[in-house]
Parts: sequence; structure tokens; C-alpha cells
Amino acid sequence: MMDDPHLGFIVAAYLAAICILIGLVYWIVTDFRLQKKALEELEAAGARRRSDGDLR
Amino acid sequence: MNLTFANPSRFLAFARLAIPWVGALGAVLAGIGFYGAFALAPADYQQGETVRIIYIHVPAAWLSTACYGMMALSSIGTLVWRHPLADVSAKAMAPIGAAFTFLCLITGSLWGRPMWGAWWVWDARLTSVLVLFLMYCGILALWNAYEDPARAGRAAAVMTLVGAINLPIVKFSVDWWNTLHQPASVFRMGGSTIDASMLWPLLTVALGLTLVMVCLHMAAMRNEILRRRVRTLGLMAASRETQGFSA
Repeated sequence: MMDDPHLGFIVAAYLAAICILIGLVYWIVTDFRLQKKALEELEAAGARRRSDGDLR
Repeated sequence: MNLTFANPSRFLAFARLAIPWVGALGAVLAGIGFYGAFALAPADYQQGETVRIIYIHVPAAWLSTACYGMMALSSIGTLVWRHPLADVSAKAMAPIGAAFTFLCLITGSLWGRPMWGAWWVWDARLTSVLVLFLMYCGILALWNAYEDPARAGRAAAVMTLVGAINLPIVKFSVDWWNTLHQPASVFRMGGSTIDASMLWPLLTVALGLTLVMVCLHMAAMRNEILRRRVRTLGLMAASRETQGFSA
């Protein structure tokens, strides 16, 4: 496969896949941390929902 | 099960347990599939080594329509049953579906250049997948256009269901029109036309990436539930402050 004339296209396709999937995972993990932090700050300030359990 | 996890708190508890297991299983299966695709499957007699791109392109294409199908089902849940997690599910799925559709378009283009001699052709399959990607972008924009998630959910649900008409067009475009894109070769009447040595890695990668997609969907749903809790608590805190000023 290494001497294939179209190797560049194959590598580019898998690099694109890795970038897109890692980007998606990074965005979701970062968003989770942001929301969790914001919720903890609000709860520390005394804000609480009636239905709050400790299910997070 | 549907009613049990209709409660967002129960869903969060379930997601906390399921996300790592589903994600890990998906990653392992995709890894096995890619190993089969690169180390065990032969080169194609016409495409040569370029066939390796198909092992990521085809699962991405399947997932692009599967994600939209899931969004359409969730939209029915929003409009008909007002299921508490339905619009959360639809909103969480939109960027994931858009990412897989974009990946499908990119990898298809990278396969098309050496095989067809063109990065892009305006044939029915490619154009309908581009329309699918634009639908995802429109739905994402609509979600961000409204402050109130309930109103945004209803508007996005209507748009999603209107856009669902594109799904059979994507699937059957290669049968209804004379396209440069080849016809279905896996899920077709009369069975797959792909040799078993190439089919099993393809299906294993597809199953693995489907589990990864489910894992990402659950994680994005969890984020959306937390975002709505933050919004509710923020509004409650603002309301208390307003009452404090007026008292």
C-alpha cells in the first residue's frame, strides 16, 4: 500500500476522520465541563431546583 | 424503558453508567474493523488501495442518514407526545449528524478525485447528501436563533420533519436517477455484492462507529440537560434578585 500512487488521498481521508471525531469528542467534553462548573457555581450560591436529586 | 428514562435525572444516572462502556465497545469494534480493513482485506481489483477510503466513507454515509432519522423520530416525540427528552435528543444529535455528513462528503471527495477524476460532480446522490448537510446546518442555526429551548425545539422539529423527505431521496437517488455514484452494494435485494473479506471489516467499522455515535449522543444529551438546568437556575436566581430589589 505504501507505494500506491493514491496513498495521499487515503491518508488525507483518515486524517480528516480523526480530526472530525476528535473535534466532536473535544467539543462534547469541554461543553460538559463548562455546564457542570456553571451548575456547581449556581448551587454553591444557593440556587436549587425543587426536583433536584444527586443524580449527576 | 421509554417511560423510565423520560425523567431527565434518571437519564443522567443511566448515561453516566452507559457512556464509558458504549464508547469503549464502539472504539474496540471500530479498531478491529480498521485492522481488518488495512491488514486483512485485499485491495480492490478496480479501485486498488483507494478502496481503503470506503471503510470510513460508507459508515459515515450510513450514520449521516441514521442521525437524521433519529432526529426525525425525536421531532415526532417533541410535536406529538411532548416527551421531555425528545427535543433534547434532537438538539444533541444535530451537530453529530452534521459531523458525520461532513466526513462523508470529505472522504467521498477524496475517493472521487483518483477514481472518477473529479473532486465533485452534481449527481443525485452527492447533491442530496450536500442538501442533508445544509439541512443539519439550518437546524443548528435555528436552535441558536431562539432564547427559549421549548420554542426552538418546536420550530426545529417542524424543520427536521420537512427535511426528512430528503432521506428516501438520499437512499434511492442511485436507483431513481442515472448517477455516477455506484448503486447500493450492501443493503440491496439479492444480498451484498461485496466479497466477505471486505464486507466484515466494513460492517464491523460501521457497528463500532454506530456505538461511538450513540455514546456521543448520550453525552451531548447530558450536556443539554445540564445546560437547561443552568438556564433554569440562572433565571430563578435573577428572579430572586429582582424580587429583593423591589421589596
